[in-house]
Amino acid sequence: MALVFQSVILGLLQGGLYALLAAGLTLYFGIMRVVMIAHAGFIVLGAYIAWRFTTITGLDPMLSLVITVPAFFLIGYAMQRFLIARLKPSTLTMMSVLLTFAIAMIIEGLIGLLYSGTQRRIALPYGTDSLNLFGASVPVVQIISFALAAVSLFVLYLVMKKTRFGRALRATIQNPEAAQLVGIDTNRTAGLGFGISLATAAVGGAALSLQATIWPSLHWHWIGPLLAIIVVGGLGSIPGAAIAAVALGLTQVLLEIPMGPTWAQTIFYAALFLTLMVRPHGFFGGRLAQRF
Amino acid sequence: MPNASSTLPLATKRKGLLPAWLSSPRQAVVAIVVVVLLLLLWPSISPNPYMTSAGVLILSYATFATAWSFMGSFTGYISLGHIAFYGLGAYGTALIVMHTPVPSFGAVLLAAVGTAVIAIPVGFAALRLRGASFVIVTIALILVLQLIFQGWSTVTGGSDGLTVPRPFPDMLRPQHHETFYYIFLALLAVLLLGWNFINHSRFGSALKGIREDEDKASSLGSPIGSLKLVAFVLSAFGVGIVGGLYALWFGDLDPLYQFDVVLSVQIVLMALLGGLRFLFGPLLGALLVGAGQEYFLLSFGQSQFHLVATGLLLALVVLFLPDGALTGIQQLINRFRPQSTSIRELSAEELRAQRAGTAGGKD
Repeated sequence: MALVFQSVILGLLQGGLYALLAAGLTLYFGIMRVVMIAHAGFIVLGAYIAWRFTTITGLDPMLSLVITVPAFFLIGYAMQRFLIARLKPSTLTMMSVLLTFAIAMIIEGLIGLLYSGTQRRIALPYGTDSLNLFGASVPVVQIISFALAAVSLFVLYLVMKKTRFGRALRATIQNPEAAQLVGIDTNRTAGLGFGISLATAAVGGAALSLQATIWPSLHWHWIGPLLAIIVVGGLGSIPGAAIAAVALGLTQVLLEIPMGPTWAQTIFYAALFLTLMVRPHGFFGGRLAQRF
Repeated sequence: MPNASSTLPLATKRKGLLPAWLSSPRQAVVAIVVVVLLLLLWPSISPNPYMTSAGVLILSYATFATAWSFMGSFTGYISLGHIAFYGLGAYGTALIVMHTPVPSFGAVLLAAVGTAVIAIPVGFAALRLRGASFVIVTIALILVLQLIFQGWSTVTGGSDGLTVPRPFPDMLRPQHHETFYYIFLALLAVLLLGWNFINHSRFGSALKGIREDEDKASSLGSPIGSLKLVAFVLSAFGVGIVGGLYALWFGDLDPLYQFDVVLSVQIVLMALLGGLRFLFGPLLGALLVGAGQEYFLLSFGQSQFHLVATGLLLALVVLFLPDGALTGIQQLINRFRPQSTSIRELSAEELRAQRAGTAGGKD
């Protein structure tokens, strides 16, 4: 019973991180109808930068966010304006998948060239510490990464709900033509939205570097579950993605007790296929991000 | 439906066998004869068995890309997950050969039928939705099969791999490569003929209707759902055969390679690079990408450089040659022909004057 309770806590923490990363992924789809395969590649890149930052400076990997978040934001903005926007609208979805796939391969290849395929891990002073949470022992790093995810999601929420830019972004998601009619520069807005989405990958990467061993092709392990989450949550819906992330993350961790990690991971794909069979628009959220 | 290959007026008028700049019969025949001769003679002119085996590998890519294009070319649905059927065909063949008395090539066929049966529900789920969801399902299919084949190690050998008994046990290695070279070549010929047959059939026209505008095709009463599914399953069957032959040839299976997302996308790259509209597009793309890959493997070894190179090539093709190299060359030629400059050089006023002039001349 204690084991189950501990797993529930761990699953919720894990789900929080999934929620942040899936929110970024679903935002791209909402803004541009782009399935951004390279998102997980950028997560791993962020993790590698955090690892390298720590080995060079000896400082905490979290401080690397000061560099990676703005850098990823700019990369995302440039990607949308100079690459994605070049694609023909009629073939955007398919071609953007291939284009972002190509970017993922380039990132993986460059990481492999620079740092080889060796598995890396940051040695943290608090790496093995755990906290006692209502009788469950929870690693400190998991709590930190959850906190990071929670803060980022909250900031994302504030930006979307409370700022002029957030309103413009939501308008662009809901109806680009109407947004243009009321004077929103949808191209610029989409670029900024893309940048924000990619910035979430930087946060996810730093969180990942705290708690996991990293290697160049790791992103393939992440992109599947993240894609499954955004389909189950309803493509384009951020709250849907968040709910689906926590639900699936929790289920995954609970299933690891009887089934082991490999089989537990299949829950994401089972959920994905089931969703498409039963409710192609996804279980949570409305049709294409009607609300935030 | 907006898809990978819409709005291309010059190609829709053509039969799709060869691009326009090869359209005169003599040029086309010469081109085909040269390619066929080169392909037929490769085992005899290749300098060493390694190059022969590279030829087998590239031919297996070419057959894969051609089988993929049964779906990708005609319907415009870019499936990134066809390697799943390749892996299923390979593992199916291996398991049948190992556990039953069925002869090797019978096992290939049986496994391909099994693969096609599995493709039916997958296609049903994937093809209900267009665009993004379809792509996501096809990627998810590979990832989940990789997990299953790694996890289910009592049957599949897991990451330790699976050794497939050879169909010709007393053949030496070079001879073995040569035999499989011709087997793959024969399969390629069959697939190309099949492609050409579909291209000229009513079925093919209906599929192309889906590619050009799915909603219109549907509103005209075309049973788009079952058409797409048939194309999907046919294509999966072909890829299953390719996988089974690969298992017999290579003799060693590993979930990481049999369900490799990157290889799957490389196959799509081959088909795209050559051009989806043309019979020999996937073959041409496979020759280019396959040869390039072998070159990188030889000169940079196991480094990750080939990933970067493939990624860059894919990005360039998507950005600048979305309709393939053959169409790209055609557009380049057209640009230098008279009367087809991309910029309109006559103003409406000049045109009116010109018309008035010719009309005056006639009078």
